[in-house]
Amino acid sequence: MAGKSDLLQGTLDLLILKTLAGGPMHGWGVAQRIHVLSEDILQVNQGSLYPALHRLEQQGLIAAEWGASENNRQAKFYQLTKAGRKQLVDETRSWERMAGAVARILNA
Amino acid sequence: MWRLLRTRLTSVISRRRLEHELDRELAFHLDMLTEQHVRAGMAPGEARRLALREFGRPDAVKEDVRESWLSRTVETFGQDARYGLRTLRRSPGFALVVILTMALGIGANTAIFSVVNGVLLQPLPYDHADRLLVLRQHRPLAEAELPFSFQELEEYRQVDALEGIAEFHEMWFILLGGAEPSRVATGVVSSNFFDVLGVSPLHGRAFEPSDERHDAPAVLLLSHRYWTHEFDSDPAIVGRLFEMNDRPHRVVGVLPPVPQYPSDVDVYMPASACPFRSETVASLDRTGRMMQAVARMRPGVIVADVRTGLTNVAGRMMAAHPEAYPEDLGFAVTATPLQEDVTRSFRTMLLVLLGTAGFVLLIVCASVANLTLARLAQRDRELSVRAALGASRRRLLRQLLTESTILALLGGLAGLAVAAAGLDLLVAFAGGFTSRAAEVHIDGFVLLYTLVISTATGIVFGSAPALTRFKEDRHQRRHTSHAAQGARGALIVTQVAVSFMLLVGAGLTLRTLLELQQVDPGFRTDNIMTARVDLNFTRYESPASRAPFWERLEGRLREIPGVTSVGGAGTFPLNDRGPFNEFIHIEGHDNLTVRPRADLRLVTPGYFETLGQPLVSGRPFAAADREGAPYVVIINRAMAQHYWPGEDVIGKRISGDGKAWSTVVGMVADARQQLNRTPGDEIYVPMFQGGQLSSNWLVRSERDPDALAADIRAAVRSLDAEQPVDAFRTLAAVRVASLESPRLTAILLGLFAGLALVITAAGLAGVVAFSVSQRTQEFGVRMALGADRRALFALVVRQGLWLVVIGLSIGTAGALVMARTMTALLFGVEPTDALTFLSVALVLMAVAAAACLIPARRAAAVDPMVALRAGT
Repeated sequence: MAGKSDLLQGTLDLLILKTLAGGPMHGWGVAQRIHVLSEDILQVNQGSLYPALHRLEQQGLIAAEWGASENNRQAKFYQLTKAGRKQLVDETRSWERMAGAVARILNA
Repeated sequence: MWRLLRTRLTSVISRRRLEHELDRELAFHLDMLTEQHVRAGMAPGEARRLALREFGRPDAVKEDVRESWLSRTVETFGQDARYGLRTLRRSPGFALVVILTMALGIGANTAIFSVVNGVLLQPLPYDHADRLLVLRQHRPLAEAELPFSFQELEEYRQVDALEGIAEFHEMWFILLGGAEPSRVATGVVSSNFFDVLGVSPLHGRAFEPSDERHDAPAVLLLSHRYWTHEFDSDPAIVGRLFEMNDRPHRVVGVLPPVPQYPSDVDVYMPASACPFRSETVASLDRTGRMMQAVARMRPGVIVADVRTGLTNVAGRMMAAHPEAYPEDLGFAVTATPLQEDVTRSFRTMLLVLLGTAGFVLLIVCASVANLTLARLAQRDRELSVRAALGASRRRLLRQLLTESTILALLGGLAGLAVAAAGLDLLVAFAGGFTSRAAEVHIDGFVLLYTLVISTATGIVFGSAPALTRFKEDRHQRRHTSHAAQGARGALIVTQVAVSFMLLVGAGLTLRTLLELQQVDPGFRTDNIMTARVDLNFTRYESPASRAPFWERLEGRLREIPGVTSVGGAGTFPLNDRGPFNEFIHIEGHDNLTVRPRADLRLVTPGYFETLGQPLVSGRPFAAADREGAPYVVIINRAMAQHYWPGEDVIGKRISGDGKAWSTVVGMVADARQQLNRTPGDEIYVPMFQGGQLSSNWLVRSERDPDALAADIRAAVRSLDAEQPVDAFRTLAAVRVASLESPRLTAILLGLFAGLALVITAAGLAGVVAFSVSQRTQEFGVRMALGADRRALFALVVRQGLWLVVIGLSIGTAGALVMARTMTALLFGVEPTDALTFLSVALVLMAVAAAACLIPARRAAAVDPMVALRAGT
């Protein structure tokens, strides 16, 4: 598993929300962006990406719309809803708290 | 918000579109992956293969995605419900108490509402009943209602806004040709009566205009009740001949089982067949008023239009016939929607009952909230663990909400069962004041009501406490538990206060009933059998032929072995048939501002002796007071004191019409016509001096009065084999029956108050027990430090009773206000009756103390060692 890491479910949701905060994006784009931003450490498996996207859509945190991709093909674009934006803030805060706690323990 | 709804709806409804879109979405991803490899320098075919391999099995991905569509809400609800049922099963005590409490409260409310719904809210089962009006004439200055005469109805029929006016009057006639000669209540109606009401016959036909012609053969319609009781619902009855008023009458139809308006009668006949009506119509006398009127509005017309039309006609009539509308009495005509008119007499009582049931529900709500609060505190640890394991606040709330919903629905269901069980009692109750009682049942509307109140009770009061829990931060939990304890106390105080009000209400109605049972009516009700005898007027056509019959009957009745005295009368006290109340003239009192009126009572010489109503002065009636002898009357003490205070009344003169004068020959003590009413002015007239057709007989004997019926019947038949006699009841039974309404009110209010008391006591015991369990450690410490067990016991009881005392003081204030609104229902007891208030307070205190006893024992039995160890 060197260089790759499986994501906790809640974490993937958070990363998707964060990625979409930059603007509407299709599933492929989300995966690529997470891969790039994490400096190739995080590889999002489509097997978890699409269920996660659809779950978030069902929860009303993101909304989907069909649009033209950069190579002019029809693609399903996702974007944050108002509820999603709020969720992102909440989740980020709680993630930071947890990460901080874990770090403190590891450094102790 | 609505986008979310659309997303969810789409996921449920258009599955195919969703699948198609998912295919396209995944295909796009695969293409992008392939493209990436191509850009990295791979051959397209190879790039595609690699991409497919990397992507994995698309079906597995799709399956995972589909799972997220599966309506998440439904899925988690299922989870919550399963989990909720499991937790409820783990604490069956809590679940049982909540469900039982709700069952009682919701049962009581559903039952009362089903009556309100059946007799108040549901439209009358007539065609377009909302267009039916009751017309009435009044003499406002005399506060008297005035029936209609034929001439008046004809004029009102000109009002444009009305489609038709039907007339009605009730007569007692004798029907021959059945098993026995029987006296039947007969509705005499215009031929359009059933068209105006909008009722079609069940069998045969309704009346037609041709039935109203004077030479038309006489016809009858049977009411459904009479047909069922007397003829076993035999449809072959249509066409059968009976004899009535010396004419053959043919049954042409049977009515459906709808409530009858204006009154419950046995048979209906067309107006022209009524001999009495024919007389007054023929006489063209517009003051021959004997009819009631029902009208149907034209579609689209409002009641105000009708009122204007009627008032215009009334104005024309008054101008044209001033002699028929004396100015000093005033004259007015009104139109009231039928529904409003038939419900007027019992609307208040039903609403009072509904309000009472509402109070019980309030107590139930408080109780449910209280139980939930206590349980929430017990589940604190479980909820914290779930939160720590990652359950979101929303999810936990939903969990609690689901549990409340389950409880609410179970409670509602149990309540429905309670209501269904009590429905018979309520139908009997409603039967006492409306013929619509048969329509009382649990229909869709009632079910909806039950659903609403049970979910409101269960969900709102089961979840509101849950909400408060999540508002607080975790650090404040300790603080919260104090606040919750406070809330629990406040809820108990509310319950006690409301229970106290209900108990006071029940206590006052109970006192009323007891007072009514003990009231001295001014006569004796023991050992008297009563019976009703109405002469067939065709057989005793001349008024002069009637008195001899009564005289002979009195003699025959007196010969019955064991009979000590016999009295005849037009009607008798406590009977629901009141005497005629008439305007009178009093000699020497011509200038009264209010025209004098009095109850006229026709009695035989033996009446006062039989009833045991004492003669105060003068003489009783004698056999010599007959037709042809000087007119004499006896008045009661109330009337004597009203018009001749301090004077001797013997020799004073009274007249009905101002022409024929009667001399007062005696004064009797007052007797109550109804137990709850003080006697008014009464004039007794010798029955043998007039041509009275209908009579009631009072037979006092040394034998069991119930055994007299056969002898009385035989005595009547020995004089005339075709003479009906019925309505056999002992006077004691009549007295009991006259208290039916206050008795039912007392029973219902008592039931409600009892319910409230039980629920409140259970709630109090629960709250005190809970606080004891929370303070076990504290008690252990106290005991270890040397506190007396008795002191601890007292501490706990005091804590519980303190809440009761606060509740009582608030409840007293509420009860004082409430009792005032009950004044009309009360008799012989003040709404602020100290005895009732005090004894109710004592009962409440005693029950509350008993409720505190169990937990207090537990507190006193705390083993200090165990308690202290448990705390560490």
